Formats: sequence, C-alpha cells, structure tokens
Amino acid sequence: MTVLADTALAADARRERRFFLSLSLPALFIVGLAAILPIVWIIRQSFLTTGGEYTVGNYEKVLSSGLTWSALVTTLELSLGTLAICILLGTPLALALASARPRVANLLMAFVMLPLWTSILVRTYGWLVLLRRDGLINAALTGSGLTAEPLPLVYNFTGTLIGMVHYMLPLFLLPVYAAMRDIDANLIRASASMGATLGQAIRTVILPLSAGGIFSGSIIVFIYTIGFFITPAVLGGGKVNPLSIRIERTLSTFQDWGSASVLGILLLILMALMGVMFLAARRLIAGRKVGTAHA
Amino acid sequence: MSLLLRISLAAIAVSAALPVYAQTVTITTAGGDYGNAIKEAMWAPAAKELGFDVREETQSDGLAALKMQVTSGAVTTDIIHLGSPEGAQAAAQSLLEPLDYKIIDPNSVPAGAKSDYCYPFDSYGTVMSWNTKTYGENPPKTWAEFWDVAKFPGRRALRANAQDSIEIALLSDGVAPADVYSVLSTPEGLERAIKRLEALKPNVAVWWTSGAQSAQLLKDGEADLVVTWNGRAQTVKADGGAADYTFKGSVIGTDCLAVPKGAPNKEAAMKLIAAMTQPARVAKLTDFIAYGPVNPAGYEGGLIPEDRLKTLATAPENAGTSVFSNADWWVKNGEAAQKAFDEMMAR
Repeated sequence: MTVLADTALAADARRERRFFLSLSLPALFIVGLAAILPIVWIIRQSFLTTGGEYTVGNYEKVLSSGLTWSALVTTLELSLGTLAICILLGTPLALALASARPRVANLLMAFVMLPLWTSILVRTYGWLVLLRRDGLINAALTGSGLTAEPLPLVYNFTGTLIGMVHYMLPLFLLPVYAAMRDIDANLIRASASMGATLGQAIRTVILPLSAGGIFSGSIIVFIYTIGFFITPAVLGGGKVNPLSIRIERTLSTFQDWGSASVLGILLLILMALMGVMFLAARRLIAGRKVGTAHA
Repeated sequence: MSLLLRISLAAIAVSAALPVYAQTVTITTAGGDYGNAIKEAMWAPAAKELGFDVREETQSDGLAALKMQVTSGAVTTDIIHLGSPEGAQAAAQSLLEPLDYKIIDPNSVPAGAKSDYCYPFDSYGTVMSWNTKTYGENPPKTWAEFWDVAKFPGRRALRANAQDSIEIALLSDGVAPADVYSVLSTPEGLERAIKRLEALKPNVAVWWTSGAQSAQLLKDGEADLVVTWNGRAQTVKADGGAADYTFKGSVIGTDCLAVPKGAPNKEAAMKLIAAMTQPARVAKLTDFIAYGPVNPAGYEGGLIPEDRLKTLATAPENAGTSVFSNADWWVKNGEAAQKAFDEMMAR
C-alpha cells in the first residue's frame, strides 16, 4: 500500500512539475525568439562578406584594428568608472535609506525612483542644458565668481560619466537597499553593546551582510553600461567612443554588417566574462564567510 | 460587338473603382524641418496632381535603412531620400533600381551631377559659420583663418565624419578648390588632410554627429566657429541667433531621390519623382529651407525671389570658391578616408 501511495505521490509530483514547466513554455518561447535567434543571426552575419560568402575576414579586420581596442578601453573606463562612483555614492545612500524611519525612507525612495520613470533621452538632454558652457551650473559658477571661465563639463568624458551615473544610481541602489534593510537590527545593536564603534559596525556587520546586494547592483551597473549608446553619443561630443558607438559607425558609415556583428559578439563575450568574474568573486566571498563562521 | 461592349463595361467598372484603390506610394525622408519642407513643397502637391496616396516614413540614416530593407527582402519604401555619396554607394552595392529616364526628364539635371540611380534634386553647402558675439565685424573669412587659432581664438565644432572635413582641411592648407580631389587621391594627400585636422583637434570642443546638433551648438554659443550645412546656419540666423555664415570655400553636395531594388510600386515611384521635382516645386522648396534646386530651370523665370538667391549655395554669385563634393571619389575612397579619420580621432 505504502509503496503504491509513494509511486502515486511521485507521479503526482512529476505531473505537477510538468504542469509548471508547461506554464513557462510561452516565456521560454519568447526568450528563444527575442534573445537567442538574433544572437544566432549575428554570429552567422559575423562570418559573412558583404556579398554573402563565408569568411573569417571580418574577425581579422576588427581584431587587428587599433580602433577596436581603443573603443574597448573606453567602454571599460566608462563602465568601471560608473560602477566605482555608484558604489561610492550609492552604498552610503542605501545605508541612510535603510536606517531611516519607514515613512521617511519611502519618501526618499520616491525621489530616488523618480528619474527612473523618465526617458533616458529626456534625461540626457536635461544634462546638456545643465552642463553646457552657458548652462545652469556654469552660469552659477561664473556668476558667483567661483570660476573665471566656464568649466568643460560636457561633450567629454566627464559629462558622459555624469549622465551614466545618474542613470545607473537608482538601479544600483535598489538591491543594496533591499539587502541592508533585511539586516537584523539586533546584530548592529549587539555589535554596539560589545563596544564596536559606528565605523566598526559598518565594516564588520553591515558591509559583509549586504555584500550580496552590492554585488547584484554591480552586475546590473556593469551589464547596463557596457552597451550604453545614447549617453556617450549625446554628452560625449564625438570624443568618447565606446564599442556601442563603434558598432553604430561601422553600420551607418561603412554598412559593414559583418564587422559590426563581430563587434557585437565582442561586447557579448566581454559581458559574459565580467559576469563570470563577478559570480566567482561572489562565491569566493560567500565561501570565506562560511569558513569564518565555522572557525 | 458584345465583346467590345463587355470590355468597355469592364473599363468603366475599373475606372469607377480607381478612386477607391488609389495608387499608394511610400516615401522615406530624413524627417524634421527638412522632411517637412520636402513634403509641403514637393511630394504633397505632386501626389495631389497624380491622385496618389503617399505615405511617409522617416529615417535619420537612409542608407542603413535601405540596406536593411533590400537585403532582408522586405522592401516597404518606394522612394528614398539620400545624400548623393550615399546614393552612389547604394548603387555600387546594387541596392537601387535604375531610374527610368523615359518617365523622368533626363535634361533636368546638369551633366556633371547626373546619376543613373539617384536623382539629384537639391543642393546645399557645408559652410563656415560663427558666433557674431564672439567675432563681431571681424570673423574668419577663409578656412586658413578658421584654422588660425592664434588670430581667432575660440571653440571649434566640426562634423565627426571624414566627409567634407578632409576637403575643408585641404582648402585650409592652400589647396585650390579645383585640385582638392586630385590631391586627396594620393596617399600623401589624404594624410596631409588628416594631419591638418589633427592639428586643429585640441581646439575642437565638439565633433557633432547630426545637423540638428550643429545648429544647436551654434545657437547656444557652445562653439564659436561651427562647420555646418548652410540650411542649418540660415535657420539659426533667421531665428535671431547670434550667428552668421559664408559660402566662401563651401563644399557643395546634393541630395537625391532613389527607388530601392524590389520596391513594391516601382513605376508609380518614378512618376512621383518626376512630378515632385518639377522646376516650380524644387524652387518652392527654398520657401522652407535654403537648399537650392539642381535643375537649372528652377532658377529661371523668377521662381525664386532675388533676395533669396543669395542664401543658396548654388546661386551664381556664390560659385567659384566652392568645391563640388565628388560622390564617385567617396564611393571609391570613403572607407579608407573614414578609417584614417577615426584613427585620428582615437589618437
């Protein structure tokens, strides 16, 4: 009897699993259609000449060009720069939000989220109005006599970085804030009762416990920024040329789809590499935490 | 007799049905003020005359869109508006149908500008423009002076593209307008142009990527000296911006209309091109934007008012110092020139 009941239960469980799997089929179908097929198409395109014959010439051309490598360096500079500033600005902000009273925290959160609901194009042009030579910021600076000449705040690397940080900060903040809010306040009190200063509490309790959130936020920032196009195109003044702009140039000026596809694949590999690196680092830290707990 | 009757009945039925099934033609332009000007002056009245139902699509990058449509086999547009170098490039990649010069008047284009694939209808100059607050009565007058940062300090803005920039660079280096392309055709000539641009690079505040952006830079005073298209400079000036420009040393280019390979309504497209580029219509275009007709007949019979002629790159009094952009040269050497330019930018 019990054996029978067991098999019946197992069959039930199997049926249930199948049912849930079938529920996810439409989503899988859409992912396959919208993500995988275009990638397959791009990979195929990267091996075609403009005439449609198979070749590895596109790879030779792209990988031997100094332009590709300088674009790669710019891409990494922009992404890592944005990430560093997001960590520097976002972590204390998340800490402040997590320790504020719920009502205040909700209000502050609304301010943080507000820019997320605005189109990136609008926000980027908004920065142009603020940062340009006769813009609000420079008018205030020269008007108050702080600087004699308007500062070059836009149409360069600085302006691009400002625009990108502004876009990414809320997206970085969310997982960090969530992780910090979930920290048991008793742990912080316990550390304080054992004589830890605020700095020590942050270093030994809060940061290790929110490391997961900071990592998730970092991955989000990196993956978003690596393909950023609008912000460098509008705020970079033609001088900031990451891979995304190189791809656009290859497509629109040269109509060279093969080389553009190679550049796209390069971007994809870069993203995968960074993803793996982040995950490995995360596991390493998690492993160390378990280790210390046992010791 | 009954057969004839039946045929005529059928003919009546067909002609009665015609207004319902009006010929539709899709046209793709760059949009914006320019696209609107082309609509108001050219294709809207032509469509009305022909009884066509014209649909408009806009694309800031016509050639990329054209290539996408033709190579994917999903051609939705019948007429596409391109710059002549892009038109020549598209023809070289067999993306275009040959123009039907039985429908379009072959004598409406001067011999030098004629193309088998893309019909040139208007012209513009890539000109030097400046902020009148910065330079007052003494702006730079030549490209050599544009390059002279000691005599004319100020922030420059150039297009982030080799096109027109390398021609201008050579003019600034003392090359005569007539010799620009023969000099550029030698490797040393191209290098000379690139070196010249590189020398100016520290003083270039912005390398712009769209015509609208160049106008904005001029209008806002973000840059003091801007290389832009005369239509854009004229619009800023007319809007009361502290800006002026000169046709001296301009690089004259033309825009053209083409029919994509495999366009759904090829013949109707040819008819619409012929109708929308009638002299009166291309002359009317100058009501909206300062891009003058390619067709010499557009300048005849007072179709364009006397005072407006001065604002057109191709007006007789503006000729002489300018260079005509050579579409064929760009098809042959464009990629190498652009690569050299991009490498200069990355250095």
